Amino acid sequence: MQTRIALVDCNNFYVSCERVFRPDLIGKPVAVLSNNDGCIVARSKEVKDLGIKMGVPLFQVQQLVNRHKIHLFSSNYTLYANMSARVMATLEAFAPSMEVYSIDEAFLDLTGVCPSDPIAYGLLIKKAVFRATGIPVCVGMGPTKTLAKLANFAAKKWPKTQGVVDLSDPERREKLLRIVPVGEVWGIGRRTGAKLDKLGIHSAWDLARQPEKRIHTLFTVVLARTVMELNGTSCLALDEIAPDKQQIICSRSFKQPITDFEGLMRALARFCARAAEKLRHQQALSHRVTVFIRTSPFKPDAPHYERAASQHLALPSQDTRHLLTVTRQLLAAIFKPGYHYQKAGIQLDHFQPITEKQQLDLFAPFGADPNRVNNTALMSAMDQVNRRFPHAITLAATGLVASTSSQGAVSPQYTTSWRDLPKVTCQ
Amino acid sequence: MTSFTLLLPNPRPLRLPLPLFSGKVAAGFPSPADDYVEKTLDLNELLVQKPAATFFVRAQGESMLGAGIHPDDILVVDRSLEPVAGKIVICALNGELTVKRLARGNGQWQLRAENPAYPDIAVHEDLEMVIWGVVTNVIHAL
Repeated sequence: MQTRIALVDCNNFYVSCERVFRPDLIGKPVAVLSNNDGCIVARSKEVKDLGIKMGVPLFQVQQLVNRHKIHLFSSNYTLYANMSARVMATLEAFAPSMEVYSIDEAFLDLTGVCPSDPIAYGLLIKKAVFRATGIPVCVGMGPTKTLAKLANFAAKKWPKTQGVVDLSDPERREKLLRIVPVGEVWGIGRRTGAKLDKLGIHSAWDLARQPEKRIHTLFTVVLARTVMELNGTSCLALDEIAPDKQQIICSRSFKQPITDFEGLMRALARFCARAAEKLRHQQALSHRVTVFIRTSPFKPDAPHYERAASQHLALPSQDTRHLLTVTRQLLAAIFKPGYHYQKAGIQLDHFQPITEKQQLDLFAPFGADPNRVNNTALMSAMDQVNRRFPHAITLAATGLVASTSSQGAVSPQYTTSWRDLPKVTCQ
Repeated sequence: MTSFTLLLPNPRPLRLPLPLFSGKVAAGFPSPADDYVEKTLDLNELLVQKPAATFFVRAQGESMLGAGIHPDDILVVDRSLEPVAGKIVICALNGELTVKRLARGNGQWQLRAENPAYPDIAVHEDLEMVIWGVVTNVIHAL
């Protein structure tokens, strides 16, 4: 039986979430801004048509925003997460197994589910999700994940597909692969795309016709697998359970630049506390801490400075207090006065499960006590209290006011707060 | 820094334990009825059939008093239900979410207020685009 994978992807997801509760904005230009209102992270079709690109800083397009009265929202992740869960719960009914790939995409295994008329089934899925949640989606289908992803791209790009494309048929597949630029293939970034282009591989079809061996030699095994997937041989299985993260990054741009060490440290301490909490949530210990700071890349006149520093931990930790100590040392190593810092962040990686027996480091300071760098009981007590009473216990280093993020126009918590329920008029 | 919690649409909704029945605590012989205390009542069970498609909205205005909808009431809306004639629906009219009764008349769909002062509105577009959801219950505080 031929494998059939579907990728269901929400259209302009964050914008669509806002529009569900604001029907007045349907057909009008709408964009959603990143965490501190710095960049555009979601665009309605009307905004895309104005040529505004994904991720551009708001100030670069402020004139267009004013001229075309683009409606801007700050990001409301509570709402988006809730709407995402509704979309995923609706999709679950349509396939025996499913992989939630991101907040707005899921792979469904439809093998044997709809052999006679996959397009009709795709339309059914699309209709059911819109009906239940108000979120429009596109459905791409194919014998592999890579082809399902490509089918979805086609479904989004060409309206006459009605938002559903199936690439099971090899002839149909070839037709599409020939007109899709290689850079649109799943997993091909800008750099690989450029390199392929130089080799004369311009379309997805050009790539599909390459011998895998050659691609493996010139690039990576991952890209060789992409070639196989484009030809209909499935190499990537459905991950039904989201794998634990291999790294945790907490970072933020500041609305007002920070110039002093202690100010940066307070921000970093908050990121560190959050990252450590996530680390404990996935029952892991981290072997490495990285701190990075930079000035704004968008102010060519101001002096630019950008540094990162990492430290390997002799004893892996998930203890906020220990990680804070390391963070402070790292910041001290890279901080230079006289700059306007616009972004800072912390990354934890090189994880090991907490249950794994700890290998003592040969070079650890003599008498290093694992309990001193890891008070599991204290940390879990802190997490439990904070889950019930958010921010009840914070470490003094994080400062008193938690206000690194500034949001101008966040929509109400329509689905998660009794006070913010959508209002409906009786007239 | 802001943080967010992933809020699932209650596949197994939060249980509100309202004991159906429980024996008094006595320092003696246990009540023979205690063995039967196993069920609690959960309002989600009564009011929410499809958690993923159910939204709560707050009513404003008095035109639906005839349908038992008062200002400030909370309406339970199931978006997945088929809108059929006679149902109270939420519709998107002129960009606003509005409560009406769906009706069939003169061979077309109509939206009616429970108030003679407001004229019926004929639906010319695709019903799917106009109807936001079907109201299943009203939560009214006394």
